[in-house]
Amino acid sequence: MAEDLNWAIGGEAGDGIDSTGKIFAQALSRAGRHVFTSKDFASRIRGGYTAYKIRTSVDEVQSVVDRLDILVALTQRTIDENLDELHEGSAIIYDGERSWEADIPEEMTAVDVPLKSLAEEAGGAIMRNVVALGAACEITGFDVEYLDESLEKRFGGKGSKIVENNKEAARLGQEYVQENYDLSHLGYDVETTDEDYVLLNGDEAIGMGALAAGCRFYAGYPITPATNVMEYLTGRIEEYGGHVVQAEDELSAINMALGAARAGARSMTATSGPGIDLMAETFGLVATSETPLVIVDVMRSGPSTGMPTKQEQGDLNMTLYGGHGEIPRFVITPTTISECFWKTVEAFNYAEKYQTPVYVVADLALAVTEQTFPPEAFDMDDVEIDRGKLVDDDEVDEWLDAQGRFRAHAVTDDGISPRAIPGTTDGAHMSTGLEHDELGRRTEDEDERVQQVDKRNRKVETAKENEEWDYREFGDADADNLVISWGSNEGALVEALEYLEEDGIDVRVISVPYIFPRPDLTEEIEAADDTIVVECNATGQFADVIEHDALTRVKRINKYTGVRFKADELATEITDKLSEEVPAQ
Amino acid sequence: MSSDVRFTDFKSDKQPTWCPGCGDFGTMNGMMKGLAETGNDPDNTFVVAGIGCSGKIGTYMHSYALHGVHGRALPVGTGVKMARPDLEVMVAGGDGDGYSIGAGHFVHAVRRNVDMTYVVMDNRIYGLTKGQASPTSRSDFETSTTPEGPKQPPVNPLALALASGASFIAQSFSSDALRHQEIIEEAIEHDGFGFVNVFSPCVTFNDVDTYDYFRDSLVDLQEEGHDPNDYEAAKEVILDGDKEYQGVMYQDENSVPYHEQHGVTEDMSDIPEGAPEDAMDLVREFY
Ligand SMILES: Cc1ncc(C[n+]2csc(CCOP(=O)(O)OP(=O)(O)O)c2C)c(N)n1
Ligand code: SF4
Ligand SMILES: [Mg+2]
Repeated sequence: MAEDLNWAIGGEAGDGIDSTGKIFAQALSRAGRHVFTSKDFASRIRGGYTAYKIRTSVDEVQSVVDRLDILVALTQRTIDENLDELHEGSAIIYDGERSWEADIPEEMTAVDVPLKSLAEEAGGAIMRNVVALGAACEITGFDVEYLDESLEKRFGGKGSKIVENNKEAARLGQEYVQENYDLSHLGYDVETTDEDYVLLNGDEAIGMGALAAGCRFYAGYPITPATNVMEYLTGRIEEYGGHVVQAEDELSAINMALGAARAGARSMTATSGPGIDLMAETFGLVATSETPLVIVDVMRSGPSTGMPTKQEQGDLNMTLYGGHGEIPRFVITPTTISECFWKTVEAFNYAEKYQTPVYVVADLALAVTEQTFPPEAFDMDDVEIDRGKLVDDDEVDEWLDAQGRFRAHAVTDDGISPRAIPGTTDGAHMSTGLEHDELGRRTEDEDERVQQVDKRNRKVETAKENEEWDYREFGDADADNLVISWGSNEGALVEALEYLEEDGIDVRVISVPYIFPRPDLTEEIEAADDTIVVECNATGQFADVIEHDALTRVKRINKYTGVRFKADELATEITDKLSEEVPAQ
Repeated sequence: MSSDVRFTDFKSDKQPTWCPGCGDFGTMNGMMKGLAETGNDPDNTFVVAGIGCSGKIGTYMHSYALHGVHGRALPVGTGVKMARPDLEVMVAGGDGDGYSIGAGHFVHAVRRNVDMTYVVMDNRIYGLTKGQASPTSRSDFETSTTPEGPKQPPVNPLALALASGASFIAQSFSSDALRHQEIIEEAIEHDGFGFVNVFSPCVTFNDVDTYDYFRDSLVDLQEEGHDPNDYEAAKEVILDGDKEYQGVMYQDENSVPYHEQHGVTEDMSDIPEGAPEDAMDLVREFY
């Protein structure tokens, strides 16, 4: 198992926890270490507990574990919130000069560093978190110089003085610990490598995927945890001639995106559950007017406002079935941060090839987690763009009826009609959410209705045949125990395999990135003695789908506390579940 | 297509199913003539229609068009224009579509000042759903859902536009074909959001706001010597609850449309066949 170090900084929202954590994560990444970060936060700007956690190793890390080695605690609550994860070998950095009396369990190592005073010495109290980073470097044997580059990245825009002050603050923290403590008995020694990694979160990967795929228009309304997609695109999409609009609400956002798509742009919107509810109004129009559109749902805990800053995979049914009437769609569920990139690229291609709305369903755990990857994981040469049956001035002719009218919804064998974007000569046509004939004109004719419904559904059948709807597989392919999951749980599951293996339990893991169309898992389930479906929701929405497909019962592991699965926890749950009876048919 | 475009080129071969005498016939004619007269052709024009009797206009006109969901036509038009600043975008819908279910979008579309034309076919009634009160219905107007009248003041769409920072506010009457067309043309040619509230009588469900009523009460601002560039004068006629006006109430001469403010000038439909050439730089940003 990876020799990993688990570090965290916690305090009140507004304490700069996030940016401090990010600086440390970046430094570790620059030192050739893998990093996997997670955030505990409450939905408040000031006050309340928040923490940024880093798991780091020279090997790949893709999950959080229930262990904390070094904790920078700016408040007592930070210590209290993490008591379960702290252990005898943990070191807790705190500022003894601050007004609160630190209550630290005896068996742990308390490292009292005058963070504020040292920061003031370096040029300002505001740098106290950076002093703490220096202190953490000393405890972990991590060269404080590695912080320099990330400090430059973070503060470069504020001038070289600020950067130098921060570097000094880090050194003061490091020296203070060096001079006042001997912590070699803790045995932390952070190795470095020559590897170059990039560090990014799922929202950024989705945004970057959109840019790679030629997305030029984005409309959205801010909502946690999807806002970051919009913020990433803003300032970058313009470089390619595109534009981001902050709409007045999600009703507007999806309609703007739809308008841009009808005008011929690759277009996207992103939101979370409450916004998906509003967008559901227009979802059927997107499908019926056969408009290519990518809609990203970064799920958070619902229903209603639920726990807005907490993890949940509760929108599967909504994205799979939401909207009145029967709406053809694709539902894609990236399982890792790098897959957030690739699946977004794919989504744009499916949208245009099949002139259908495509949901990319990610979750908070993917969105706010940063993870390291070799840059080749995002090799732009592998990005393919397929715009489907887009017709130009010459090709339009083939699709005109006897009166010279463009058949925008022509009934074809594969269900896909030609697509003429505005400006194409003789391609002018009407699109509508009303049932229509081949020309896009309203109809209530029984035959035409059936033809159009069938042709729209046939596009999905065509996609099922022509595209690969594979799952991702880990562990022992011949194992009797099968664990199926979707979305962000993959990382924790893959790491859980190591714990299970240690206990002599063989497991085959299937991680599903496509929910509609989706791979048929009947054979895999029949081949296994035991099947468990793992997901972050209470009712087992994916397990229901799997049971329906395979006409059998499966076991379920559901977590809906608002916190993502952890590798060690999942290993224990799987072990327990395997010994339970299979539910009655 | 070129300068020989005639207004009938904007006509589809679908026969309107509006009630005979419906104001929407005249409203649509003025739109088609206005589009042709200002040098547009169906292949570079995008019409977005709302839902209502008025919304059927998308079907009866010929151009690139979308007939969307109730109340959301303005956002669609906004997206079209941003992606393709080269297109002529015209959005049309009813008073319910624009000032009730779509009221939020109206305020923000006005603020954004996207360079498009918005025609509201205001019949002061819900036509398609057969005669319920609309946001512009009079407070004592009896309908199936308001037997004693809505007992709420009607919304003043022109004032709403003014309060939202409009750069062009006008009102016309579908039956005064010449003036209606002229006003539509001015809205099309305006650099920014050209808003026209059109009195477009519903002959079936509204026996108060009739052709006769408008003919008798309309005051033409042009004849009154109104200066649309005078904000204070505009405010006065817009807030004058005693009269019905036709004409351009307000036009901001210095209006800069959204795409110019934001430097959105490119045809967004045109993209490379793979990732952009420098796309690995996007990855390297994350070092
Ligand atoms: C979400 C939704 N709610 C209700 C309706 C039913 N509906 C269709 S048109 C309309 C009102 C139309 O009034 P207006 O916009 O004034 O258009 P008019 O028919 O008068 O031209 C309503 C309520 C609908 N289509 N969609
Ligand atoms: S009901 Fe009224 S608005 Fe609708 S078509 Fe008839 S006259 Fe026109
Ligand atoms: Mg109406």
